[in-house]
Amino acid sequence: MSQPIAQTTTPVAGPHPTETRPYRQSLYEKSYLPLLGGMLVTIRHFFKNIFGLNKSYTIEYPEERRDYSHRFRGHHILTTRPDGSVRCVACFLCAQNCPAECIHIEAGEHPDVNIEKYPVVYEIDMLRCVFCGYCVDACPEEAIIMSNNYDMAYFTRDQSIVGKSDLMKPYTFDENLLGYRPSFPEEDVKRAQMRRGAFDLVAAAKQAQANGG
Amino acid sequence: MNKMFGESWVTTTFETLEDWAQRNSFWPFPFGTACCAIEFMGTVSSHYDVSRFGSEVVRFSPRQSDVLLVAGTINDKMAPVLKKIYDQMAEPRWVISMGACACSGGFYRSYHVMQGIDEIIPVDVYVPGCPPTPEGLIYGILQLKEKVVRDRKKLAARSAQGRPEKETTGAHAGSATA
Amino acid sequence: MPTLAPPPPETRVGYDLDAVRAKFPAGSITTQEGAPWPTWIVRREILVDLARELRDNPATRLDLFVDLFGVDYPDRAERFEVVYNLYSLPFHARLFLKVAVREDDAVVPSLVKIWKGVDWFERELYDMFGLHVEGHPHLRRILCHEGFQGHPLRKDYDAARRWILTEDKIYKPHFDLPDGEDDLFERMTINIGPSHPAMHGTFRLMAVLDGETIIASDIEIGYLHRCFEKMAETHNWQQVIPYTDRLNYCSAFINNVGYCKTVEKMLGVEAPPKAVWARTILSEFSRIMDHCVCNGTTLVDAGALTNFWYMFQIREEIYGLLESVCGARLTVSACRIGGLIQNLPPDFEARCRTLLTMIPPFIKDVEDLVDKNRIWLDRSVGIASITGAEAVNWGWTGPCLRASGVAYDVRKAYPYDLYDTVEWEVPVLYGGDVYDRYRIRMLEIRQSLSIIRQLLDRGMPEGPHIVDDPHVALPSKDACYNQMEAMIYHFKLIMDGIQVPAGEAYTMVEGANGELGFYAISDGTGKPYRLHCRPPCFPIFSTFPQLINGGSLSDSIVSLGGLNVIAGELER
Repeated sequence: MSQPIAQTTTPVAGPHPTETRPYRQSLYEKSYLPLLGGMLVTIRHFFKNIFGLNKSYTIEYPEERRDYSHRFRGHHILTTRPDGSVRCVACFLCAQNCPAECIHIEAGEHPDVNIEKYPVVYEIDMLRCVFCGYCVDACPEEAIIMSNNYDMAYFTRDQSIVGKSDLMKPYTFDENLLGYRPSFPEEDVKRAQMRRGAFDLVAAAKQAQANGG
Repeated sequence: MNKMFGESWVTTTFETLEDWAQRNSFWPFPFGTACCAIEFMGTVSSHYDVSRFGSEVVRFSPRQSDVLLVAGTINDKMAPVLKKIYDQMAEPRWVISMGACACSGGFYRSYHVMQGIDEIIPVDVYVPGCPPTPEGLIYGILQLKEKVVRDRKKLAARSAQGRPEKETTGAHAGSATA
Repeated sequence: MPTLAPPPPETRVGYDLDAVRAKFPAGSITTQEGAPWPTWIVRREILVDLARELRDNPATRLDLFVDLFGVDYPDRAERFEVVYNLYSLPFHARLFLKVAVREDDAVVPSLVKIWKGVDWFERELYDMFGLHVEGHPHLRRILCHEGFQGHPLRKDYDAARRWILTEDKIYKPHFDLPDGEDDLFERMTINIGPSHPAMHGTFRLMAVLDGETIIASDIEIGYLHRCFEKMAETHNWQQVIPYTDRLNYCSAFINNVGYCKTVEKMLGVEAPPKAVWARTILSEFSRIMDHCVCNGTTLVDAGALTNFWYMFQIREEIYGLLESVCGARLTVSACRIGGLIQNLPPDFEARCRTLLTMIPPFIKDVEDLVDKNRIWLDRSVGIASITGAEAVNWGWTGPCLRASGVAYDVRKAYPYDLYDTVEWEVPVLYGGDVYDRYRIRMLEIRQSLSIIRQLLDRGMPEGPHIVDDPHVALPSKDACYNQMEAMIYHFKLIMDGIQVPAGEAYTMVEGANGELGFYAISDGTGKPYRLHCRPPCFPIFSTFPQLINGGSLSDSIVSLGGLNVIAGELER
């Protein structure tokens, strides 16, 4: 709120400075000469850029892309089994763990008796999603992971609710496009080989395509 | 122009030129309130350099800008301000809604946050992300560019069929055709 | 050269709470047992006298008003509890006061005459809980809009109940004109913002001008009130972390650390050494990032655009590091309760070292450009200056306070993580103006770089990145796929959330613009009963009218940048 100019200073306890000591300009600084020093900095950058001595910082998107790590939290992926079916078992953990409550799942009985359930509907409202990665943390099946893909834009709100078909689009064919997903840093070699059999997403996706899935 | 030359080679060429100029130099009005505004700063700074797409002329006056770039949470207190600024913009105008909060309220399903700016103003392009990366925003701008071209073509086709309509560009055309 | 003052003394010689207590009737003050910090439960009648005595008594000198918030307990006879958080800079001691009031008599006395910084906190109390603050000069809503009805942080308020603000209810400014200025005749009243670049998009300044001089001003905030505290009550403990990112979005990682430390304290777990090490390093990088954007925008406000590009370059490089750790550039959510989101990437140290060599040239370029530049000096030296004593009275913390000559830094006063194991100094300047606030941030960037360098030289500690406790942290996916037990824990943690035992905790970290504290209250269910964030820039920005009154309008623009007010944190 507003205070008048004439301040009534309350007495304040404590040995804190009661007056300010602002910076004093020296005669040299008053002479405007240091501006030349600043000028030199910009001139140096100018000539370095002109003659290509500086590396250019600009990323020429969309032709060139920034080198994001393999943890980037982008568009979601629903991973597939080698036969091309969705890996998700509709356990609702991702929907439960989502702070934005943007995941909508409807579960259905799976024809294969070994698999109990599968999602009939799996929708993510991309405009609600805050890309925190909590769904990936929650998934016990590695069925939902994230991709490196950030090229998203929608023209309507309806478009932004992406279903199974969009989420299962084959981002998984290229390992370089995978983003945030569970990491297995501590597992030993044997386990890793076992896991590769069960959870190699890229191979599974390729297999699924070969099967005509 | 139309009065002077009618529908002749001059006007069509001029219109093409106008279209070309318009879609290659969106001047944004950054209505930046929150985290997304920081990413917008990232987009205009040297790493992403949005001037490669003609959008570096950031105008803080609604009269001088083409695109209203809503970056950040809009709450109920801010809503009248946003509406007023949108109303002050000259046609043709477009709206890009950047980030989850502006698009839909994001994970703030709360007592003071608007559940998407489309409650009060029409939106042409929604860019998801919280906040979107600068690339995401540039992708959104490119999508808007395509949309403008598409809408113009539709409009031209319609008037060629002899059904001249009141020219509605930007958001209104967008909501009808998308 | 700036003077590098020693940190506040760690001693408490002469600190004596009983000396104050003896002056008040027995029974009016009770000590709360089992509280995380020294806490007194105080009767409302003596609050004002007690507060004055605590501030002025040479045995206590609790001169820094840190925080004030309310809690709603609908089941109790005395429904509302108001918590005051005080700190003594000379004695380095902290005291909490709690006052309970009944719903039918929901009045607390105002402390504005004792600490000026309490002003906005009391307005927030009124706004959020509907408590009337007696003696407050202009009690009105602060965060919610004028069309709002009800008080949202009461437990019986539905979190999603919205109200529409109509044009006629928009706040009309109120000016306290100085003596002799009885009306606004022949005065120009202008409104800047909220959507104005000089007001950083979210603040509204209304000023009465005499020529170009501001003679009275009024500010209005709340244009980015996103209900963080109510949202925290509707989500479980782990899910609050993404919300904390969006408090101070310029240095989101520090918020994560502050929140996670609070919950870890309540749970009684400690993050493993590797997580602590990484948290310290990334906090310092976040601090550099925040100072960069603050100084960059301040200089832009003064018209020096080039620095902004150089400063943002640093940010972009640090984004790369954060993204490789957690997958997001800005809103990182990189901490989990008990550790970090994932193990550190293999190239973490190499990336950090690259940054250490990359940042100093940019800093030097900026310093060469503006440090001795007379144009910048003329715009900033002596502008919006405030003395140390005044700043303390207003409740300032962080770089802005240190620019006024008071060396209070949470990292030294209450060392957390690894700050007490590295050598660094707290830079202090005495100008208290825009220039010294700019300088102090430049000096702090260098200190941060030094801290990071020392920690990197020490090497990354071995071990896990998150605590190995199935009640707190999700089991590794590896265990999850292979062991039934781990799978059950995984399901339980996600479905029920972390079960934090009933109790309270207050933990603070040094945020990029001051003491960032989280006061959490748990009732044993899976969600926070109350989570209050102590926003460092809230008291700082409440000083703004005083800083700019009497100066020219163009100076007010420059002074806003130097305060580093982040709307997400100011308004939560």
